[in-house]
Order: sequence, then structure tokens, then C-alpha cells
Amino acid sequence: RWTGERVGRGSLRGSSGKAATSPAENYHLARRRTLQVVVSALLTECGFESAEKAAVETLTEMMQSYITEIGRCAKAYCEHTARSVPTLADTVVTLIEMGFNADTLPVYAKRSQRMVITAPPVTNAPVTPKALSAGQKRTHPAYIPSHFPEFPDPHTYIKTPTFREPVSDYQVVREKAASQKRDVERALTRFMAKTGETQSLFKDDITAFPLIAAQPSSIPYLSALLPSELELQTLEETDSSEQDDQTDSENDDPGGDKENSMLPPSGVPSAKASEENVIDNPYLRPVKKPKVRRKK
Amino acid sequence: MPLTGSDSYYCAAAQQNYVKCKNKDMESPAQIIGYVELTIFPTVVNLNRIKLNSKQCRIYRVRVNELEAPFIYNDPTLEVCHHESKQRNLNYFSSAYTAAVSAVDPDAGHGELVIKVPPELWKQGDDLKVLKVYIEFSLDQPKGGLHFVVPDVEGSMAERGAHVFSFGYQNSTRFWFPCVDSYSELCTWKLEFTVDASMVAVSCGDLVETIYTHDMRKKTYHYVLPIPTAAPNISLAVGPFEILVDPYMHEVTHFCLPQLLPLLKHSMSYLHEIFEFYEEILTCRYPYSCFKTVFVDEAYVQLSSYASMSIFSTNLLHSATIIDQTPLTRRCLAQALAQQFFDLKQADEWVLKGISGYIYGLYLKKTFGVNEYRHWIKEELDKIVEYELKMGGVLLHPTFTGGKEKDNPTPHLHFSIKHPHTLSWEYFKMFQCKAHLVMRLIENRISMEFMLQVFNKLLSLASTASSQKYQSHMWSQMLLSTHAFLKSISNVSGKDIGPLIKQWVDQSSVVKFFGSFAFNRKRNVLELEIRQDYTSSGTQKYVGPIKVTVQELDGSFNHTLQIEENSLKHDIPCHSKSRRNKKKKIPLMNGEEVDMDLSAMDADSPLLWIRIDPDMSILRKVEFEQADFMWQYQLRYERDVVAQEEAISALEKFPTPASRLALTDILEQEQCFYKVRMQACFCLAKIANSMVSTWQGPPAMKSLFTRMFCCKSCPNIVKTNNFISFQSYFLQKTMPVAMALLRDVHNLCPKDVLNFILDLIKYNDNRKNKFSDNYYRADLIEALTNSLTPAISISNEVRTVDNLNADVRLILEEITRFLNMEKLLPSFRNTITVRCLSAIRQLQRNGHIPSDASLFKSYAEYGHFVDVRVAALEALVDYTRVERSSAELQWLLNMVQNDPAHYVRHKILGMLSKNPPFTKTTDSALCNEALVDQLWKLMNSGTSHDWRLRCDAVNLYYTLFGLTRPSCLPLPELGLVLNLKEKKAVLNPTIKPELEVASCLVFNTMEDEDIDMETVHDSQAFIHQHLHLLERPSTPGTHTHTSACMHARTHAHHLVTHTPVLFVLLGKEPPSVEQSLLSMPATPVPSFSKETSSLASKHAGEHGHHHHHHHHEHKKKKKKHKHKHKHKHKHESKDKEKDRERDNSHAYSNSPASGRSLRSPSMSD
Repeated sequence: RWTGERVGRGSLRGSSGKAATSPAENYHLARRRTLQVVVSALLTECGFESAEKAAVETLTEMMQSYITEIGRCAKAYCEHTARSVPTLADTVVTLIEMGFNADTLPVYAKRSQRMVITAPPVTNAPVTPKALSAGQKRTHPAYIPSHFPEFPDPHTYIKTPTFREPVSDYQVVREKAASQKRDVERALTRFMAKTGETQSLFKDDITAFPLIAAQPSSIPYLSALLPSELELQTLEETDSSEQDDQTDSENDDPGGDKENSMLPPSGVPSAKASEENVIDNPYLRPVKKPKVRRKK
Repeated sequence: MPLTGSDSYYCAAAQQNYVKCKNKDMESPAQIIGYVELTIFPTVVNLNRIKLNSKQCRIYRVRVNELEAPFIYNDPTLEVCHHESKQRNLNYFSSAYTAAVSAVDPDAGHGELVIKVPPELWKQGDDLKVLKVYIEFSLDQPKGGLHFVVPDVEGSMAERGAHVFSFGYQNSTRFWFPCVDSYSELCTWKLEFTVDASMVAVSCGDLVETIYTHDMRKKTYHYVLPIPTAAPNISLAVGPFEILVDPYMHEVTHFCLPQLLPLLKHSMSYLHEIFEFYEEILTCRYPYSCFKTVFVDEAYVQLSSYASMSIFSTNLLHSATIIDQTPLTRRCLAQALAQQFFDLKQADEWVLKGISGYIYGLYLKKTFGVNEYRHWIKEELDKIVEYELKMGGVLLHPTFTGGKEKDNPTPHLHFSIKHPHTLSWEYFKMFQCKAHLVMRLIENRISMEFMLQVFNKLLSLASTASSQKYQSHMWSQMLLSTHAFLKSISNVSGKDIGPLIKQWVDQSSVVKFFGSFAFNRKRNVLELEIRQDYTSSGTQKYVGPIKVTVQELDGSFNHTLQIEENSLKHDIPCHSKSRRNKKKKIPLMNGEEVDMDLSAMDADSPLLWIRIDPDMSILRKVEFEQADFMWQYQLRYERDVVAQEEAISALEKFPTPASRLALTDILEQEQCFYKVRMQACFCLAKIANSMVSTWQGPPAMKSLFTRMFCCKSCPNIVKTNNFISFQSYFLQKTMPVAMALLRDVHNLCPKDVLNFILDLIKYNDNRKNKFSDNYYRADLIEALTNSLTPAISISNEVRTVDNLNADVRLILEEITRFLNMEKLLPSFRNTITVRCLSAIRQLQRNGHIPSDASLFKSYAEYGHFVDVRVAALEALVDYTRVERSSAELQWLLNMVQNDPAHYVRHKILGMLSKNPPFTKTTDSALCNEALVDQLWKLMNSGTSHDWRLRCDAVNLYYTLFGLTRPSCLPLPELGLVLNLKEKKAVLNPTIKPELEVASCLVFNTMEDEDIDMETVHDSQAFIHQHLHLLERPSTPGTHTHTSACMHARTHAHHLVTHTPVLFVLLGKEPPSVEQSLLSMPATPVPSFSKETSSLASKHAGEHGHHHHHHHHEHKKKKKKHKHKHKHKHKHESKDKEKDRERDNSHAYSNSPASGRSLRSPSMSD
């Protein structure tokens, strides 16, 4: 009977089963198999002749979840009382907590018609792979008791200073910034040119100096007049960083200095905002409702 | 002709104009329906005909005092020369055009729309009682007068930013509602506009209230304009505008298109200062109770002023980061506001243009400084001098006395200056320029205080007059004539400026002086010789005082010489004996004392420099000869920017190390006016090129630029941009452009310079700058362009990538990158694209890359920013000329006919005239009969909706073919007849319309003797009409009182609901649909669905077309003309049909212009 089952499983899992060659995987498979045997045994005990594979799987899953939950809960109880290994009492409390009548357990364990299952084959518990250790772990200093956890690997907390000289030569910096900007622009425009329509200046080699094709827009003045977001951004940056003394420098011309002294900067409309509601301008007045002229 | 003394039929007018403007639907976006109500006060008895101006409006119904009135609607300017395929000479056209314009000139009491006052009312008219004229009309897809901008995107009209505004060249209000379209006919107005609820209607006067319509989907704006105003000063703008109430002056409201509010806020933030300035100097309040500025797209001109509102191009708006546009926008605002004070009451145009230009100049002086002002005056003076010397004189105040040719005040021009509508645009601009310069001359004579007192007086007179209740003689005081102006001047100042006016206003042309001198050591006298050229075109003789300033070692001295008929030489005694005390400081004109290095000067002469007419108090050009060191001293030490600029231009002829040094010193001198320094850059480049073999040291300006703008530690890298100092900014922009003009011994741009410019581009870093660097980058591209020299080419070699010159490859790389980046991050006004396009054209012209028009064509398409389009078109015009490409010429002309943007059309023709593909003196394959026909048609009938465009077309025709019959046309076979006709055309110039009309008639009857009156073209029928009408004085002296009502249609169903009414009214008789169609060919009655009406107009068009051919054919046969008519066979059968049709149709139906009320067959009795 179990052979068939196993074959089924094998075919179900297919390649993944085969691929699961790692010891950890094997270990878990073995456990699972044992659980399945248990479920099948229980079913037989209850009088089932046969069961669908899916049903067995489901029950196994339930069983596993149940047991896992007991374990997790028991561990929690024990840790709650500052211990590291669960005691029987923990388990009992857990069972009770989960609504299981713990008293019935001994009776059930000793029931007559129970089936005995062979112990699962001993498989080696999976070895947790060693973490790659980098450098020497530090030992605890004298004032820390030894049972405290060890230091983690040094790379997690030690900074490694690099000693390369930062480039501060003005010329090089400008050079770099310039070429970087140019490279970015060139790459970007080339990309745009490659992905979209282009126009070319030469007939023999249309890829030589690709120009992004001119696209008419329906409202051309918007893009031509409104400052781009990039410009606005830089403007904000420069505004905040410097130029306090230059707030009124939105004047135009060398000759125009004098007039600007009286011209407050952009803050005018907002400053006047409070007065705004007193302004009586015919264009701000609400639109009137038509007069109803039904005299008939 | 008994048409005397009636230069104004409707002496004054009063009242309302109801305009309801319903704004458009998706399907029919450009429609207006409205009515006008005019109140007319007859001033003469026997008023039985009223003539009004109206163009392209469809008139449905006219009532006078509730009585239906018959009318004739005829527009002779639609087609200037009818059936005239052979003449093709501009003399003939100009006179015919002038005659046509005169025939509907409101100031002569004419108009396109002639309304017959119902006989029942004649009695009333004779008692001089008020007549009320009510006119219903509509406008469908108007081609002129109103411009609809409807962007082709998703969304409602408001979301799309669709808007409409009125525009025109001079008095053009007749394009959008019937009126007396004259500046001298004043009346008060009531205006109503019904628009979609999402729209705002801005118009003249005070907004009284805004009321929803009953369905709450539209609203009606009610305006009242209580100040008497002429119809041409009425305007309208409707759109989903964002509204900004001026924070300083709450009665001023600004409007802009959606999303532009931040720009509007910034750009308008200084308007109040301009207001304050004008009100202060004129000591007079702004004449209207409110002021509105509207910023629209596709504007006809940058700014146009109307009563209490101005319409600007939206492209004037800018953000705070833009430097270059700021002064330009401020100037525009100042100009518009100056016109608000003066320009809107017209009588003698030059006075108003002059005053508004003059006070605008005062604003410039105050805001931008004296240097800028004097620079501007010099610029304007140079402009007018150049224009007059090239084209002949500009006459400010023409008087048309006689009707004979010799009385034509401007025989040198190819157009008549009698009507504003026949004036070429360039001439008009020069006219304005001269007007304000003459005002300045008057100021020089009578002082500024008196000048301002005169203005104040004029304004207060006008405002008193306008506050009066209607009284025609009072209102006419608002009009400003030359006479009144002069009288006021003499009253205020007590000075007689008659000679000045005679010289500059009543006469055209400028003065041309040549000066030279010799120093007589023995007598210690400066012998100055001033000669004049008054024989070449555009010059006149000057007699009178002239100021000469002599800078000597001991100081600066002014001398006033008298220029007289025969005296050329003038002796001026010198004050300084000789150079005794070498260490002494030299006093300048402004009292400053400076140390000079006098080693350069002639040891025997105490003269440092001499200036003739330093204050520009004569409209003149001076060519003065003095030694190079004198020019150098003048450049260094004379503090007047005009003198400095003159010195710079003179130094171009003296390529010496001393000139170089003087220019370099000026460049470095921070106190010096930045425009002078900029000019010095270009002069230095020229000098360097002349001195190329002896030039020492690095290329000109390079070390200077490095010192001023590059990093101290690494001189090859430019500092990161910081444009806080505008003087430096402009210099930084200009120097590379000038440097790129340098050439080495091989006539190539030096490698050093090119690399230098490329480095500037490479290291340009604007991240820390408060201002945008788009103009700077654009100038760097211009520098690259300037560095280009013609490729060394083996003849006819195809330009390929492989044989591209290495330097050019670098340049091309930059241009490609700039142009592509602009697509991703567009610059303000797309300045980068503009310069890139001209750079590419330059590369093509110099043979570096293959010449190709397709790129420019794609950028010239509608939908690009207007500056970009103009740049692309300029390249195309150049391409057309260089490659003599008829395909491109056709493409351009096609755009002239079809482009939605009026400005672009105007620009194309302007550029073609400036850079013509061929001229009358050169031979070209392009010059052929077909082109002549095409251009002829363009100016004859294709541009009837836009005066300015028609004048542009005339200009182009003149440039290409000259005044006489184009040489490419085959000689007419029957030379005798044609010669006769030509002679006639020449003999009958444009002066007196009556005579012209008469001669026209004679000539036509001669020509068309075999044709019955039915086929005589309309303007003649019309002119006949006039002649008949003269028997009973038609509408002489009346007062109109306008009230118009306009509906711009929003929904098609409105049209349907309205039209039955309209139709009934039109066809009282009542005619069948067919009949009415035939009788009103160009005015399809809108009672049909769209299809029918379009069909109808098509039909009508066909009708006219075939008829035309038929007629043409007819004549030719008669005259045994041997030229085969192309369409002869095609149309013969159709013609017969048409004949039959025509017999059914009305007598006056053969022109698309004619509309006629059906119940007035007796109109021509």
C-alpha cells in the first residue's frame, strides 16, 4: 500500500524531489513521510479501507500544523518564564489552551486498537551551514558573562576606512562634472533618438547625427514658456542656500536698479492675500442668476 | 463730382453696441451671431442712404426705426482687379486697390454696406431726428478680424485653452461687426457677449454685470463704455482665462491662458510703476475707469491697444529666471500703456503715434537710464535714416489736395499712403518711429515742461469733452489734429515751431551731411566744411541751425552754426592756444576733468574731437571725417554713449594697434555702458581680421574673457554661471559670438577660438545660478555658427559623413546634442532650437552638409512654438533663394495662404521680400507666368481678409517684379490696347477716388464695351451706385450711435432655432431656397444644415469661378487675342449652363462679395 503512495508522491513532486538532494531537504521529507504513515494508521484505525491521496495530504497538513502549533506555543510559555527548554507543564498548558482535554491523553495513548508504527529511519539532522566568517570574532570583554551571545562577525560592526585621497582639485572636479553631464546627455539623447522617430542631416548615413524628430504639439506655448521642473528645482535650491541679499535682483537691466528697491520680491501677492477678499473687481463678482421673467 | 466737404458723414455717434458672443462647439468652433444697433443723428437733410462698414459678415436683416430697410452689401476690396488677367502691373494694381479702399472709406462717408432709409422715414430724417439702425448678422469661420485659437486636444473648450480675440491692422473692426469703421467717429457703447459658462469675455469699458442664461450653461457679460470711442478701438477677447487682479491697483485686471498664472503674476508685478510714471508726468489720471490686459496665443502683433484694454502676445510672459525677456516685456507694457493715454483718439495719426512714442521714451529714460534712452534714440534714428535713404521718404502728414499725379506726395512708393490699409507694414513702423523722433525734436525746441503741459492740456480737454452728454462739436475735441496740437504748443510755449513742422512733418525725407575739417594754425581757427546731399532719394535740404561740439585741450565748446544755401565752410575759433601745459587735466563736457595721454595727437592742433549735431536734433545721417586718434579719444573720453558708438563704427576703418587698444580699454571699463562694450566686441573682431598679418598675442578678446569670466586657478575653464551682474552677463554672452568672427590668414576661424568656444559649452554649469542660461547657451550656438567658413569643396561633390571636416564634426555634435536635449528639456521660447536651426542652415549653405529643406519644413509646421517656426521658415526662405527651388517657394506660398497663424503668414512674406528668391533685376527660372499669376491672385483676392498681409504681398510682388509688367510675361499681342490701358493706369494714380472711379469707369467701358452691365464687375456697379447716390446726398453728416449684438454660436441647434426667423426675413418675397442661394452666392443662408450651406457656398464659388472664365473668354475672343485659354474647352459647356443660371440670378450676384436684400430691386434706380 505505501509503496503505491510513495510512487504517487514521487511522480507528484517530480523533479523537485530529485533535486532535493540537500541533507536538510531529506530530513524534512523523512519527517513528513512518517507523519503520513501516522495519518494513514489513524485512518485505518478508524476503519477506512482506503483514502484519496489528497485527503491524506490534507490530514497530514492539519496534523503537522497542530503539532507545530503545540511546539511553538509550548516554547512560548517556557520562554515566558525565562527558561529555554519547555517542560511537561508547558506542554500541558498549551494543550489546555488549545482546547484539548489533557486528561484524556494517557487513556488514548494506551488504547488497545492502536497501531504500532515502526520508528522512522534515522536521518541525520541537517547541519546548519557555517556562516562565512570574516576575520576573528571578538571575545567578550571581562565584564560580560560568558553565557551572553557571542559577538557577531566583525564585518557587521567594524568600519573599514579606505584611504584614497578624495578628488578636490577644482579643475578635475569641473572636468568630471562636465564630461559626466555630457555623457549623460549624449546617452539620453541617443537613446531617445534610437527609440523614436528621427530626422537626419545626411542622406548617406542616416544614423550619423540622429536628430529626434520634431513633433508638433497642440499647445506649443506651454512648454516654451513655463520653466521646466528641473529649473524650478534648481531655483529653489539656490534660493534657499544663498542669495539673501539678492532677493530683488529679478530686475532686468543694469539701468533698472533704482526701480527695484521699491519692488518687493515675489511675496507681494501672498502678503496682500488677506486684502484680496476686500477687492471689488467686477471679474471676481459672482455670476448673477438670470431674472425670471415669467409674468404670464 | 459734387462730393465735397463731407469728410465725415457721421459726424458723431452715440451709444450702444450689444454684442452677444456665444462661444463655439466642437463642430463649428468659430461662429458668431449678433446684432448691432446704431443711433444716428442726421446732421443734414435728405438723408436717405446710410453707409456702414462691414466685411465678411453675413447680414440677415436691417431695420431702421423698426421698419425693414433694403440694403446692398458690396465689398470691392475682396477682389481688387476683376477679370483682369493681362495687366499684372503693380502701378495698375495699386491704383485699383486705393480706389477700392477709397470706395468704402468711412472718413469719406462710404461703406460696404449701403442701407436705404425707408421712404417713410425721410421726413423724419429731414427734421434731423434720431434714426435707429438695427442690423442682424453672423460670422462663420472668420478669416480676419477675429482669430479663433482652438488647440486640437481632448477635453472641453475650456480645458483645451481655446480662445478668440479681435485683431487687425489699423481700423479693422468692420471685420467682425458692422460699424462706422473710422477713428474719427466717436460714440458710446454698450456691449454684451454671451459665452460658454467656462469662458470669460473681456472687452472695452466697465463690466457692469455677468448673468447666466436661463439654461445656466452660458453667461452674458454686459459692458458699458461711457467715454465716446471710435469703433476701431473696440475689441474682444474670450477664453478660459485665469484672472489676476493687480495687487497694487484693483481696477486693473490681467488675464492669461490656463497654467500661465505664475508667469502672469511675475510679469505684471511692475505694471503699476508704469502707471504711476505716466500719471505723474502727464499730471492726469488714466482716462478710463479700468484697465485690462489679456495675453493670447497666436497674437497678430505683440501688443495692440484698445479702449481700456490691451491685447498682448502670450509669449511676452516670463518667469523670474529669465533675464533677456524682462526688459522687452516691460517695454511692451510701457508702450501699450502710453498708447492707452494717447493712441486711441485718432485724427492725425502722427501726432498720436508721436506722443505715445515720446512718453514711452520718457519712461525708458526713467527706468532704463539715460544711456539706454540715448542709445534707443540713436537706434531709431539710424533705422529711419536707413529706411528713407533706401526706400524714399516717410511722410508724416500727407495732404491730398489735388487729384493729379504730380500731387501725389510719395511718388517713389509702390503703394498709396492715403489709407492705412494700403500702407506697407514696414512703412507703418517707420512712420511711428519718425513720429516719436519728431516729437523729440519739438521737445528740444520748446523744452520738456512745456511739452508735458501741452499733453496735459490735450488730455484734460479730451476728458472734459468726453464727460459731456452728447454734443457732436464737443466730442470732436477729443480728436487730436495737427492743427490743434500746434495751436496748443504755441499757446503754452509761445514759440513758433512752424518751420520745424514744415521740415519734418509736411515733408518727407532726412538730411545727409558730409563733414570734414582743417585746422588753421595761424589763425587758430577750425575750418569746418559741411556739405549736404539732397539729390538722392530720401534726402532733403536742410537750412537752419546746427550744433557742433568741439573738444579742445582746454575744454569742450558748443558752437551753433547756420546752415545756409551756399555756405559750406564755417570758421570756428579755437580757445586753446597750444599745448603749453602738458600736465594739465582736460575738462570734459560734463565738467569732469581727466588725464589723457596726448602723445597720439597732432602736436600742432588743440583739437581732440569734433561732433556734429551731438543731440540728434535733426533727422540726419552724418558722415564726418576726422583722424583715427580723434575717434579713439572720442571713444575713450566722450561720455555720451552715442558719441562712443559713433566712434566705434568709425574705428572699423582704422585697423591699427591704437584702435585695438582703445577698444580693449573700453571693453574692460566697467563704468562704460554695456551696449557700447558689446558693440566694441564686434568692432574689435573686425579690426583683428584686418590686422591678421600683424596681430600680436592671443586672439582678440580671449585673454580678456579669461580674465573676466574664467577661474583663477584654471584659466581654460569658465566659472560656474552667475548672472547677478547683468552688464557682465551681456558681455559674457556677446564676446564668444564676436570672437567666432575672427579669421586667420587662411580665412578660417582660428583653432584656438573654436576650441575655446567648445570648452565654454563643455564647462557651462548653471546649477548654482539663479537665472536661466538659455540665452547664453543660444549665443554659444550662434558663436559656433559664426565660426563656420565655406567648405573647400570639389565641385558638385555630394556631402557625406565621411568627408566631414573634423572641426565641423565637433560643431555638429554639439548642435545635435543641443537640439535633442531641447526636446527633453525645452528652453524658454525654445531659444536653443531657434539657433540650432539657423546653425544647421549655415552648415548647409557653407557646403558642409547636404542642403536639404525637409528638416526645416517639419519645424515650420503649425504646432511648433512661433519663434521656432519663424527660424525654420527663415532657413527655408534662404534655401529657396540659394537653391532656386520652386517646390519650396510653392510650399511657402501655400503656407501664406493656409496657415492658421496670421503672424506667421505675415512673417513669411516679409522674409521673402527681405531675402527674395530673385529680384526684378535678376533672371531666374523661378520667375515665370505661373508665379506671377499666383502672386497676383494672392494680392488681388487671396488676402482680402487681412490688410497687412495684402500689403505684404504687394511688397513681395514689387520686390520680385517691380512696378511694371513682369518681364517673364509674354508681350501682349495687342500692344496698343494694353499700352493704352497701362498708360491710363499710370495716369490715374491714387489720389482722388472720385476721379479714379471715373477713370476706372471709362477704362472699363472701353474695355468691356461689348459686355452688358450685368457682367460688369461689382465694384463698378457699386461705384455707379455711388454716383447715383450723389444725386441725393447720401447720409451726409449724421451721428451714429452704435449698438451691436453678437452671438458666437455654441451649439448647432441654436443655429437651427434661430435661422427660420432669419430666413423669413431675408426672403420676404419669399423665395425658394434655390433662388435665394443664387441671389446671395457668398452668403449662404444659414438656415440649412451645415452640409447644405457648405454646398451652397461651394456652388456659389463655382458659379463665380466659371463666370469669371466665361467672361474672360468672351473678352479675349472679341479682341482676337491669340493666347489660348487653358480652360476654354473644359468650361465651354458649363459656361452655357452658367449663363442660364445667371439669367435667373440677380444682376449683382456675380461677385462673391455681393449680398443684397431681396426686397430692394429698386436700389439702383
